[in-house]
Amino acid sequence: MSSLELFAPTDLGDAMKFLENAEGNVTVVASGTDLIPRMRKRQISPSVLLDISSFQQDLRYIRQSDGVVRLGALTTLADVLESPIFSGKLSMLHEAAALFGAPQVRNVATVGGNICSATSSEDLIPVFMTLGANLKLISSEGERVIPLSEFIVGKRATAMKPSEILAEVNFGSPGEHSWTGFEKMGRRNMLIISLVNEALCLSVEDDLNTVRSAKIALNRVSGRVPAHAEKTEEFLSGRKLSEQTIAQAQKALASELALTSDFRGSGTYRTQVAQVYLKRLLLRCHEKIRGLA
Amino acid sequence: MSEQVSQLLESLREKAERGNLLYIGENIARVDSLEKVLGKPVYTADLIPRGTIYAKLFHSSVPHGIIKRMELGTAKAHPGVLGVLTWRDIPGLNESSAVLPDRQLFSDSIVRSTADILGAVVAETLPSATDAAARIKIDYESLPAIFDPLESLKPDAIRIHEKGNVARQMKIRKGDVQAGFTKSDLILEKTYRTQFQDATPLEPEMGLAIPEDGGIKVIGSMQSPHHTQAAVAKVLKLPPEKVRVIQAVTGGAFGPKSDETPFDVCSAAALAAMKYRRPVFCGLDREDSMVMHTKRHPFVISHKTGVTSDGMLQADESKIVGDTGAYASLGVFVIVRATFHTTGAYEIPNVKADSYLVYTNNTYTGSLRGFGGPQALFAIESQIEELARKLGMDPLEFRLKNMLVPGKKNATGALMDASCGLPQCVEKVVASSDYRKKAAQYSNQTGSVRRGLGIALLMHGNSLGPEGNDYGAVHIEIESDGAISVGSGLTEYGTGAVSGMIQVASSVLGVPLDRFKLERPDTSKHRESGPTVASRVVVIGGNAAFKAAEQLKRKLVPLAGEMLKVKEEDVVIVDGIAFDRYNPSVLVNWDTLVAEAYRRGVKLKEEGFFMAPAAPWDTEVGQGTPYVQYTWGALATEVEVDTETGYYKVVGVHAAYDVGKAVNPGGVLGQIYGGTVQGLGYAMMEELLHKDGFVVNPNLGDYYIPTSMDIPAEFKAFIVEVPGPLGPFGAKIIAEPPIVLPGPAVRNAVLNATGVSVDDLPVTPEKILMGARQSRSSLPARAQR
Amino acid sequence: MTKRITTMNINGAEHSIQVSPSDRLIDVLRDQLGLKSVKEGCGTGDCGICAVLVDGKLVNSCLMLAAQCDGRRAVTLEGLLNDSAMKRLQANFVTNNAAQCGFCTPAMLMASWDLARHSHEPSNDEIKVAISGILCRCTGYYQIIDSIRESCKEGGH
Repeated sequence: MSSLELFAPTDLGDAMKFLENAEGNVTVVASGTDLIPRMRKRQISPSVLLDISSFQQDLRYIRQSDGVVRLGALTTLADVLESPIFSGKLSMLHEAAALFGAPQVRNVATVGGNICSATSSEDLIPVFMTLGANLKLISSEGERVIPLSEFIVGKRATAMKPSEILAEVNFGSPGEHSWTGFEKMGRRNMLIISLVNEALCLSVEDDLNTVRSAKIALNRVSGRVPAHAEKTEEFLSGRKLSEQTIAQAQKALASELALTSDFRGSGTYRTQVAQVYLKRLLLRCHEKIRGLA
Repeated sequence: MSEQVSQLLESLREKAERGNLLYIGENIARVDSLEKVLGKPVYTADLIPRGTIYAKLFHSSVPHGIIKRMELGTAKAHPGVLGVLTWRDIPGLNESSAVLPDRQLFSDSIVRSTADILGAVVAETLPSATDAAARIKIDYESLPAIFDPLESLKPDAIRIHEKGNVARQMKIRKGDVQAGFTKSDLILEKTYRTQFQDATPLEPEMGLAIPEDGGIKVIGSMQSPHHTQAAVAKVLKLPPEKVRVIQAVTGGAFGPKSDETPFDVCSAAALAAMKYRRPVFCGLDREDSMVMHTKRHPFVISHKTGVTSDGMLQADESKIVGDTGAYASLGVFVIVRATFHTTGAYEIPNVKADSYLVYTNNTYTGSLRGFGGPQALFAIESQIEELARKLGMDPLEFRLKNMLVPGKKNATGALMDASCGLPQCVEKVVASSDYRKKAAQYSNQTGSVRRGLGIALLMHGNSLGPEGNDYGAVHIEIESDGAISVGSGLTEYGTGAVSGMIQVASSVLGVPLDRFKLERPDTSKHRESGPTVASRVVVIGGNAAFKAAEQLKRKLVPLAGEMLKVKEEDVVIVDGIAFDRYNPSVLVNWDTLVAEAYRRGVKLKEEGFFMAPAAPWDTEVGQGTPYVQYTWGALATEVEVDTETGYYKVVGVHAAYDVGKAVNPGGVLGQIYGGTVQGLGYAMMEELLHKDGFVVNPNLGDYYIPTSMDIPAEFKAFIVEVPGPLGPFGAKIIAEPPIVLPGPAVRNAVLNATGVSVDDLPVTPEKILMGARQSRSSLPARAQR
Repeated sequence: MTKRITTMNINGAEHSIQVSPSDRLIDVLRDQLGLKSVKEGCGTGDCGICAVLVDGKLVNSCLMLAAQCDGRRAVTLEGLLNDSAMKRLQANFVTNNAAQCGFCTPAMLMASWDLARHSHEPSNDEIKVAISGILCRCTGYYQIIDSIRESCKEGGH
């Protein structure tokens, strides 16, 4: 940590120019909740930091219009928890935010930081994945949009270019007959890195039974990063929900998951829990959908 | 005389009736609580003066090896670095050990664990020292390493220490176990395992050394200033009087701060201070602390227990193996306590135990709250539960039949007398938890969410017992303005015991606690009083404080008698007022009394000294009375298990402890709550893991201690008071006992809820879900006849 | 490393402080301003012992770079010693035995004070959430929770 420089521009354009000229030697920092522990544990030794925390006006917002929800990258977990938008069928976001870290961490950790960290301990990633979220990346060359599922390419590896900053995550609010849910298992109740977390966005047809889409994402599927359980999603699509289809979906999930063991838990155990969560999420979301109708 | 005044005098007279019990049993605020809520700068890191330099310890990167080469040049050349200290810089003995001299301060050749310290980088700033330490390169010749204590016991195992891998052995031979097994209708053999636990005091270890008067002053976070003084003096080759050690306000301890780590940081700081003639701060960050300080010993305990079909225990044979890691530290006493508690709170007529404290190349283990008790009681209480189930008997009834009550004898053959309050504890807990009704209710459950109750009973030998001479001294000085200063080598680090000890003095002297001030324990002012461990402050310190107060009262009462023209035997002191007990309006207040004493040259400074009676026992057969007094307890926990995921919650805790006499009930409850929650951590979620000798999770993100979200929604705690022979007013210790029972109580509750026996701690959701297939060396119960 | 000036309002007073990029807020508060009530328990944001209020929000001061605090407002326990709600909390902590070793006490008090501002009669569950990011090893939390509940009942802010 001895030779560290920090650049803290007050203008977003200046930040973009700085990145463009820096040729990839810059680490972007918003809250520091991920960066500082890693620096102290000597897992990384950045030499130049770009502080984007002052872009509150530009990058911290939660908006909903025309069925699209947009969160600025500097939106904090506390903002997510307090926002009335994430209730009802979008309550999965409240559920995930409430279980994330602790109050002090939620007050500063950002949605953008969560996503760019690209690890299986970032609970919001599976949540956004099931909502089919897109990311808006900006640079001095302009902006581009990339689906979240394509953005995460590996553990702590994203498709972001060195000259880019994540500006916004957005998703289409799930339509009629939809509901979302989130489950998390750890070794204690607070301040944990999940053994397993799982998100579901379920949409059914007008018969309130046939699955239009079941988007399922977990903190780990077959690598060490959050991903969709694509085969299970495919399996459920177009099927009627019943005890049997749920049991079959659980089997599909088990065969799709290739979870490794570590000191927090074995792969076998995580797979079992993931299956139980799938059942519970499907049942719960289905109930809610039928309750509304 | 006004109504108000006569009421006051009447109240004084009533209070005088209580005698020495005046303030005992009152929830008086601790003497040291104000500075804590005001956030005063009283901890070691708050006391760093300008111009202080920093020492950063660096440790081994192999679990077992010989140092071939240390490349220190890069570190020494790093900006801000003054130098790098190694074994070559030690003028005295290169030793830092608590009991057995098996451990060096800075390794000079052999390293036996990744926690072995190799030296200290000294720099102007901590970041500079830290960066430089990361640039040190050491070449080792790796040696084969052992990480399993059972492997270490094998005759062909490599030697970790010259004298072999068994640091200590203990035995119990009571009666004839073979005869007992012959009488038994059921014999159960099972093995239980416990894990490394980290104490996790929120303030890690640290020391500040300041050169002074040709010697050194050391301020630090520690449990035993005199032991630290001796350790530092040995390293520096200074006479102890030249090493002044002061315990700063300490942010939690739980054991490791009575072992070698304070010696390490204080010696390193002192060495650097003497060399560079500047104040030096040596502190461990959390990761270093979790790697380097002592942990709780993991144990492998096998029981073979015989019982008759009517539920009477006949014999128990146990093999107890404790992993002491690379160095013995206080493990030499942990194994003793674990052995003497091998049959817990039960009478078993025939007992055979063989225990081994074994070296491995894991990081070393030592003193941690409970000190062998949690491990021993996990094993025996789990075994009791398993036996009850195999007999088809209710686990509570089985316990009631066999538990220690006055007239029965424990594993060491000691006879329990009327001071055994175990039955009262059990009664409280059974009633509070509604045990019988719920146990019946829960035996018939459907659905995937199941509840269960588990119960465990405690016998906990008090104070040092067999560990050595158990003595302490407390100085009390009444200053000219009437303030009362109390000093002792016994330390406070959160338990409240020192405040309790002062409350005893306050009660005996008759002056309210708020007139008392606590001096920082200081080796230049206070007599050596042994380590502050084993929860001994209330008993040893309490008695010493009692004596000092009595000695002072014996000086003040005659003086007051003279001043009031009242017979000495009629003078009492209550609420700081000395008066004629038969005519309270004849009085003199404290300040006036003290001023007169000073005027007359009466010395108002006394030292109370107390030594506990010897605790004799026969080392060959482990029989005798190694403890003079016991604390008793019972714990019932109720769990709710989601059997689909194994996730569970402890929904209710009911705890009762016989503390003899609760000097400060709020303080006692604080220890019960805190110790129980620490015990729940041990039972449910705490596991300091080693892989090939490296600590896997030396941080608080991967080592889980309970948060406020993890505590049981319902916690009913009861104080039982059956006076014991040792403590002031019959007081018994409370600081350690509450950590002991949650392990087995939770384990048994889960068993009753799910039918799953988890035989190794912690009881995790995964183990519950996967079924307890972990007891590798367990054999099925064999029924005889 | 280029030092920079960060201007912060700390406990009601403006301070211009020279900081290195790697300085954390906790380093500035403790070492430059002498505000020792802010403690360091882990340095990795896992224990909450360093919690202070920044712009009115409870944060871990070991996880904030001082250089990112320009223009911000920080409040530590020292800044609230004359506040009546804090005094009530402190008094309740003392009478309920909620401070044992005392190392988590400043952080617990900051979290409680913050809670009391937002909630007049918090339930035990709400209190537990408010202090869920601060580890205590001594008390088991029960006496802390009682102190907070009683304090809020007596009058909150």
